[in-house]
Amino acid sequence: MLTAIIKKELLQLRRDPRLVGLIVVMPLIMLILFGVALKLEPQNVKMAYVDGDQSVFSNLIKTGLWSDGYFDLYEVKGKEQIIEEIRSGRAKAGLYIDNTLSLLLTENRQPHIIFYVDGTMPSLTTAMKYHSKNATSDQVTGDMYFSDPDAENVVIAPEPLVMDTVVLFNPDEKETWFFLPGVIGVLIMQIALILTGISVVREREKKTLEQLLVTPVSKSTFIVGKIIPYIIIALLDFYFILGAGWAMFELPQPSSHALLFLLALVYVAVMISLGLLISLIAKTQQQAMFIAIFIIVPSILLSGFIFPLEAIPGTVRLISSVIPFTYFVEIIRGLLVKHTQFVDLLPAYLALSGFVVVFVGASILKFRKTL
Amino acid sequence: MIHAYNLTKRFNGHLAVDHVSLDISRGEIFGLLGPNAAGKTTIIRMLCGIITSDDGEVVIGDRNVEKAKAGFGYVAQHFGQYEELSVWENIRFYARMYRVTDEQWLLHLLDRYQLTSFKEQLSGSLSGGYKRRLALVCALAHDPDVLFLDEPTAGIDPVTRKLLWDDFYALSAEGKTLFVTTHYMEEAQRCHKLAFLSSGRIVAKGSPDELKEYLGDARVFRAIVPYKPELREALLGTEGLMLINQFGNELRIIVAAEAAKSHLEEIITTVTGTPCSLQTARPNLEDIFIALTREKS
Repeated sequence: MLTAIIKKELLQLRRDPRLVGLIVVMPLIMLILFGVALKLEPQNVKMAYVDGDQSVFSNLIKTGLWSDGYFDLYEVKGKEQIIEEIRSGRAKAGLYIDNTLSLLLTENRQPHIIFYVDGTMPSLTTAMKYHSKNATSDQVTGDMYFSDPDAENVVIAPEPLVMDTVVLFNPDEKETWFFLPGVIGVLIMQIALILTGISVVREREKKTLEQLLVTPVSKSTFIVGKIIPYIIIALLDFYFILGAGWAMFELPQPSSHALLFLLALVYVAVMISLGLLISLIAKTQQQAMFIAIFIIVPSILLSGFIFPLEAIPGTVRLISSVIPFTYFVEIIRGLLVKHTQFVDLLPAYLALSGFVVVFVGASILKFRKTL
Repeated sequence: MIHAYNLTKRFNGHLAVDHVSLDISRGEIFGLLGPNAAGKTTIIRMLCGIITSDDGEVVIGDRNVEKAKAGFGYVAQHFGQYEELSVWENIRFYARMYRVTDEQWLLHLLDRYQLTSFKEQLSGSLSGGYKRRLALVCALAHDPDVLFLDEPTAGIDPVTRKLLWDDFYALSAEGKTLFVTTHYMEEAQRCHKLAFLSSGRIVAKGSPDELKEYLGDARVFRAIVPYKPELREALLGTEGLMLINQFGNELRIIVAAEAAKSHLEEIITTVTGTPCSLQTARPNLEDIFIALTREKS
């Protein structure tokens, strides 16, 4: 009897070639993708700098930072702009050298330079701090000693210059500030994709769709009617999870509640319409669940939620840019942790809105009023 | 009222429906009779516009299917209402799909199909007969002119079946056109007009009485003879034999005009050991149905 049941289960599986394909091919794709994409060591992390000194010494410091390919430096004007670049997400780090560097060095008065670092992502912050040491390594500072060591009564500073590190936005480098905003997005993604993912295919399997298709209901009414209730449920859920986060984990307040609501609305609409599209593509509820899982897993890993986007090589980064969750992570961290301005978040908002248009459009095209 | 011209449908290269044309007048109860897999459900689904035909055309009233949807109702073979919704919620939902908001009318329908006492019950917990009534109410919520019923009484007890048919006649008397698929002879017998479907093709059309003419000059004999496998074997060789059918102790034989009655009697007497005399019987629909199905396949 046991073997008969085992055999029957296997036979049933084999009769669903799409499911077999999903079970075999998708893990393979993911394995290759993650093998290539997931590197904990980023490269070319953007660093905005101001070099007020424009001297051979300041060049030595910058070259030191360039040297191992970890940082990619670009010039901006003024200290405030460095902070703005990091707030907007264009840079993860900053370097400020004022115009007194050469003077103080030659007088052996130990000048200070400032290293700014984005604290939103504590693991990346730690790594950036580690690599910033290249700016003050012996190779860089070796040529910066100016007093005559033989002269009397001169105290030589142990290091010719000092680098001050300033952690921005999440100064205590709290892991919860980093993880929780993204976790909200993951939860909403799961709820939305699974809820909506089975919504049409379930009607197909239970044969209620056949009865609905003979009514004069239009395609767009059907699609919109399917989406709206789930958007409301997921939206309530969003605030429920967020409220719990505020109550239990001291999650920071957003820079703008209106923008947070806009994010919730657009993100939920993306996920619900994607769920609906899954439901129209899948032939069985089982297939829908699998497709949903195969969207959720890469979303978590390739969105910058856990691993920094900087650590993902260029070609795979294209995949990150078509994952809606990437934009959610950017916006929610911007609103809750960094208080980024709307102008800088606008492209991400537009990208999310674009996904809604694409998914709803594809759903209307895919939905046929026939069996 | 319902006109179909040359409806054709292939599934994976297999011809499921082969150039079917139908003309059904207003107020008629039209029965599409055929064995399983003959293409009945495919035809009714094409008529309702939920399967696209590969060829051919459907006109309901004087409109194409999509435009005619507001004017017809459809009851699928399987229960297609929402099991998680109550009877009343289902009815209201389908009414709204047709922009019907008149609750008095819906309550009247509920009453007409004896569903009033089940109004708040979840439809998934209804028995088969009541599920069928609920499906019918949902299809009638917008008071359509045309009703498509796919095997409306399959798996239904004879008492409920009779009640449903009484109602179908009432609906027909109200001027509604009913299109019914079935493989029950008893049900087919009740239709005003019939079409016999075999392997996707219409092999005979007409009223039940007209269809009985389809046997031409073939003759139907009956005799009280218990079932014997050897007898069947012995009779199969007979020239002009069209059908042998056993009903309990009754044996029915359909033969072409030239076959000799005495020869058949001889065979039966030899095999059973008891003298047999065949009586001439009136052909019934089942005789015709099986004979036509056999002939074409």
